[in-house]
Amino acid sequence: MLARTNPVTGAAIKRAIEARDGRELASFYADHAVTRIVDRNNPPSKPREIKGRGAISTFWDDICSRTMTHRVDVTIADGEQMAFTQACTYPDGAKVFCIALLKLEGGLIVDQTVVQAWDE
Amino acid sequence: MVGHGALDLVLMPGFPSNLEILWEDPEYRRLVKRLSAFCRLILFEPRGSGLSDGVDPRALPDPRTKLDDILAVMDAVGCGRAAFLGASDGAAQALSFAATHPERTRALVLHGGYACLLDATTDAKRLRASVEAAETSWGTGASLARLAPGRVDDRTFAEWWARLERLSASPTAAVTQARMSAAIDVRHLLPAVAAPTLLLHRTDDAHVRVEASRQIARTLKHARLVELPGRDHPVWIGDVDSVADLVEEFLTGERSVAQRDRVLAVLLVARVIGMSGGLAAAVASGHLQERMELLHEAMPRIVARHGGYGRWSGKDRIDARFNGAARAASCAVALRETAASLGLAIAQGIHVGEIDMALEPLSGEALDIADRIAASTRHAEILLSRLASELVTGSGLQFLDRGNVAVDGQREPLPVVALASERHLEPLGRNKVRPADLGILSPREREVLGLVADGLSNPHIAVQLGLSEHTVKRHVANILLKLEMPTRAAAAGLVARRAAQ
Repeated sequence: MLARTNPVTGAAIKRAIEARDGRELASFYADHAVTRIVDRNNPPSKPREIKGRGAISTFWDDICSRTMTHRVDVTIADGEQMAFTQACTYPDGAKVFCIALLKLEGGLIVDQTVVQAWDE
Repeated sequence: MVGHGALDLVLMPGFPSNLEILWEDPEYRRLVKRLSAFCRLILFEPRGSGLSDGVDPRALPDPRTKLDDILAVMDAVGCGRAAFLGASDGAAQALSFAATHPERTRALVLHGGYACLLDATTDAKRLRASVEAAETSWGTGASLARLAPGRVDDRTFAEWWARLERLSASPTAAVTQARMSAAIDVRHLLPAVAAPTLLLHRTDDAHVRVEASRQIARTLKHARLVELPGRDHPVWIGDVDSVADLVEEFLTGERSVAQRDRVLAVLLVARVIGMSGGLAAAVASGHLQERMELLHEAMPRIVARHGGYGRWSGKDRIDARFNGAARAASCAVALRETAASLGLAIAQGIHVGEIDMALEPLSGEALDIADRIAASTRHAEILLSRLASELVTGSGLQFLDRGNVAVDGQREPLPVVALASERHLEPLGRNKVRPADLGILSPREREVLGLVADGLSNPHIAVQLGLSEHTVKRHVANILLKLEMPTRAAAAGLVARRAAQ
């Protein structure tokens, strides 16, 4: 609950992602938040949607359970909108790059779109 | 590893397996594609199987070694905790992993699983016999009847299965595997499994009784059992979409948007209608069975050679899809020739329409129409709906009108044509020049052509029209090109014919 009272900032997102702190990340979302993922397996006409904080929390738990490194390079905040880029590396060197666009309401994420690509 | 979804799922497909060979099977590929759409799928091959290290039959690996193998694979790909999809003997391994490493187990999905094989198999006597017989029968595809009886009649598949057997283990290793499977008993570990578990079991599973999954479901703390129709044991055979739907819903909380994938395809249905006449008819009918078997074997290969995909949908009917009508038509000719060489006659129907690529076996209204067209003739003919025939313009194929065929559910009868047996050497697209085509010439060219027809030579024409000889030459060359005429004499003849009309 402590985290929820903190507004979502670029620095907070960077810290949580890079520390693979799933619980902290989940606390940034509103209860009814929706995360939409577009990648090779989930094309724009049929993006993967993760609805609700419970499901998003599981999503981040899964991501954070991986022994991979994440680096948040750019965060841009503009009022109720935020964007950041994330560069990830698996232990075998394979890289994933994502760019995320967030819509905030009352300091919490209500809508997130992630576009990602990876080394084949 | 396939896919980049948020969660990790370890797939343990059960013996026999070879990760390289399994990819060749369309149903396995579909299962992997569906699963990897929402997760990072880690394909695990246990020790002693396929591409993994062999097992020394004198010193079988203890259970801990097997679990360490799974941990090693997970560590190598940076997987902290994973969900497991364990099928057949893979289910027992998944249970044992979940009991030993709960912190690294997100959830379990078990398909056709068992905690103790001897207790769970449909026929313990047969199992023992097959273990003993494995030494000699392994590699011949003999285990297919026990594991997937629904596919035994599919000769191409049965041959492929034999190859899968051979490449998943040597006969000795297969015996070792069979002994290890028969010795599996993880019942004592069940109370320690805390991970949420989804059990899937086909109700008429030919190898492991559905009761085995019911027992596990009763013992586990957080388990749900879904019984699916069917009798084939391997998870990647049969209705893989239902399996993928349930797994996805269980692991992500949501079922994916309908994966319907409708594409335009050319469909061919071939029906064996009897013996063909002539020399072949003299072959004793006693060999009919043998010839049918040869035909069963040959037809899917011919279809594949023509860029299509075909499968027998009955004893005397094969269904195929192609991405082009000319391919389908030339395949039909090859199929007819092959059948005729075996003394058999086949009637074939070709139609074009949308089909659902997710459906296996091939089905849908367009296929039914192709079948209806095939059924409308009792001769070894290749009939096409006019719609399909119109797609091959320019291919040199010729058609004869065959009237209409009534099709259920269609208001209008369907116009059909028969593929003519002869092909012209000249492509049909090159239409013969019609007299009206003189209109494509410019006024000056028509003037030159008139003089050519009068028998004048180029220097004469040049003088008469006040042009250089070079220009006249150019005009004549252009005229021949436009009219597609080989010589000036032919062009002159055309003018003469027009004058006569």
